[in-house]
Amino acid sequence: MLKGSTFRNAPIRQKLMITIMVTIAGAMLLACVGILSFDSILFRANLGRDLSALARIIGENSTASLAFNDPRSANETLSALRARNHIVAACIYRMDGTLLARYIRSGALEPCPPPDVHDRLTFASEDATVSHGILLGKQRYGTLMLLYDLGEIAERRRLYGAVVAGVLLISSLLSYLFSSRLRALIADPIAKLVQASTAVADTSDYSIRAPKLSGDELGVLVDRFNEMLSGIQSRDDSLRRALADRERALLEVRNATERFRFLAESMPQKIFTATPAGDVDYFNQQWIEFCGLSFEQLRHWGWTRIIHPDDLDANIRIWRKSLETGEAFHIQQRFRRSDGIYRWHLTRVHAMRDERGDISMWIGSNTDIHEQKEKEEELRRANEDLQQFAYSASHDLQEPVRNVTVYSALIAKRYHDLLDEDGRRFLGFLTEGGQRLAMLISDLLAYTRAGATEGELTLQSVSQVLDYTLAGLAEAIRESGASVTHGPLPDIYIGETHLQQVLQNLIGNALKYRSEDAPRIHIWAENLGTTWRFAVKDNGIGIDPSYREKIFGVFKRLHRDHRFSGTGIGLAICQRVVERYGGRIWVESTLGQGSTFYFTIPQHAGRAFEASAQRSNG
Amino acid sequence: MAQVTSSGFPRRGLAPVFLLLALSLLPISLSEAADVPLEYGVKATFLLRFTQFIEWPSEALGPTDAPFNICVVGNDPFGAALDQIVSGETVNGRKVGDPKMDREPARGLCQIIFIPGQGESPGWLSGVGRGVLTVGEGESFVRNGGMIGFVVENRRVTFYINQRNAAAAGLDIRSGLLAVAKSVIR
Repeated sequence: MLKGSTFRNAPIRQKLMITIMVTIAGAMLLACVGILSFDSILFRANLGRDLSALARIIGENSTASLAFNDPRSANETLSALRARNHIVAACIYRMDGTLLARYIRSGALEPCPPPDVHDRLTFASEDATVSHGILLGKQRYGTLMLLYDLGEIAERRRLYGAVVAGVLLISSLLSYLFSSRLRALIADPIAKLVQASTAVADTSDYSIRAPKLSGDELGVLVDRFNEMLSGIQSRDDSLRRALADRERALLEVRNATERFRFLAESMPQKIFTATPAGDVDYFNQQWIEFCGLSFEQLRHWGWTRIIHPDDLDANIRIWRKSLETGEAFHIQQRFRRSDGIYRWHLTRVHAMRDERGDISMWIGSNTDIHEQKEKEEELRRANEDLQQFAYSASHDLQEPVRNVTVYSALIAKRYHDLLDEDGRRFLGFLTEGGQRLAMLISDLLAYTRAGATEGELTLQSVSQVLDYTLAGLAEAIRESGASVTHGPLPDIYIGETHLQQVLQNLIGNALKYRSEDAPRIHIWAENLGTTWRFAVKDNGIGIDPSYREKIFGVFKRLHRDHRFSGTGIGLAICQRVVERYGGRIWVESTLGQGSTFYFTIPQHAGRAFEASAQRSNG
Repeated sequence: MAQVTSSGFPRRGLAPVFLLLALSLLPISLSEAADVPLEYGVKATFLLRFTQFIEWPSEALGPTDAPFNICVVGNDPFGAALDQIVSGETVNGRKVGDPKMDREPARGLCQIIFIPGQGESPGWLSGVGRGVLTVGEGESFVRNGGMIGFVVENRRVTFYINQRNAAAAGLDIRSGLLAVAKSVIR
């Protein structure tokens, strides 16, 4: 019999066979031992009965021998015991203990057991002794002693042992045959299953299936195994698909990267990319060629060396801020070319975000705006000169014009009678022309002031500025019988004079270009998120749509009509102011049905104003 | 099992054994009748024991209160031995008696008639009637109409049996008794 791990590692069919054989042999052995023990007990009981009967018969047949003291007949009686192989000795004793007759089995050495007055059967290890009183009626004549050899039991045991051995042999043979049949039922399906699983493990082919040979637990096991395999197969397939998808996606990413690189290389701009942390990891060829430095020299923070020292602080500040907030920024700065000359560039930097909204990279472009910048500078300077000229001219002109108007009025007053009709008419033209010239000069001054800096910007209550404006226009309002209303108005960062100029011009226009009806003017503001939109609506004569753009030009007057006095500079001033703050102004109107003037002021107008002020001053 | 045969086993020297047997069996008779030969003590015992191996026809026994008589005819050799042996004994519920007489006993009186001596058998022996066991001495007794005849052989008391005569008298002798007899005439 196999032992321990040897048995544990033995194939199942061997285990089955051994188990079956051991079980059968054990059962048979147990049964035989049981039968043998039972037989032994039964045998003793039977032997006891048998010996008692024998003793009774011998005793009865010996009564006469005893009664008449006849050893011959007693011996004859006893000699009949020869037929019983296991009777070793038999003796008939008289009452006085003397021997009447005896029988000793040939070859036996044992003497007769001494007479016993009690009838009994005594088993010793190797023999049994029977004592039997011989009676006739109530008279006891003597005692029969029988000595029985229990070798028969051993003999029976040997016989049984032989039978058991035979049965065991046959049952082992049968169980062997039976186990071969069982092997087909149990070991074969398992072997098939093992074969299938080995094949799967060796080939990784999950389409292999184990054959189902029965509907029992093994069948269920095979089913589960196959289900598991199909589960693995489908998962394997989806894994493959996922891997293929991933490869395709990677390829797409590579392609996209290549496309980006190609695009970046073919652009006239200097392109760079940076990691989310701001570490620059790519410069296109235009960069390299422009600054004459290698990628290794430029990468990380090496690019800072080509920035003009005056621009570097602003650059670093705004770049750091964007890295913190993730906001895009643009800045104008100078880069040093390989020949040492600094050129102006417009730098725009945007964060590229992934689908989760996290920054995946920063992309920056730098456009050379040097020429543009120089032209702008020239233009600005020219503009400034012009403005200076216009200002000083209008300022210097004021005095002589005032002289003209003052003295023409003086002449009209003092020398009225000296002048004839024509003289008075000419003087009237002169006075009117002087007044008109004074108004023109005053408006020109206002226009130049609209472009000027107004110092520190403070938060202005639009409503309050409107009140001042309306107070200034009180006479005109009263004359025209106009009603001016307004909705809720915000506080905004703007120069007080500038706002007043805009409101005064728009409301003044509404009063001036009135229809037959009394003017109705309404002012309101709307919050558009990053900007405020203001509106001034009237019920005046309205504007032909074809003139919507023209009206904002300097000295553009639509009406040469005498009724509408004015220099035609009001809307130009409005546009100048609004654009100064980064807003715009337009009109929506239908001829004969009134107009609505809109203008926007960005909510961070202060900053835009500062920036534009800096540009124009710097 | 009990073989009735006359063929002899080799007789061994059993005299001392026999003596002991007799002493043990008959302690009283021996002590009180010292003059009675040991041989008759044994024979007296045997006479009573025969009753246990022989079946009497019921009509021979008479009414239940009638005694079972072992009659000794002629010269009584037992002395007091037989009296003592039968005293208090019963056969088939009947008290055993041992009347002594000189002549043929009256019919129906005796169930056993013992005729001591080796002499000629009396002429009335064959006419004692049904149900009477006749016991004498010597082999000739059973040949001349008797049923059981004591003999002494090797200083041991044994007997012959004439079963035919016994059967004729309606007596049924059990095989055990036949087996111990020295010889049986059938």
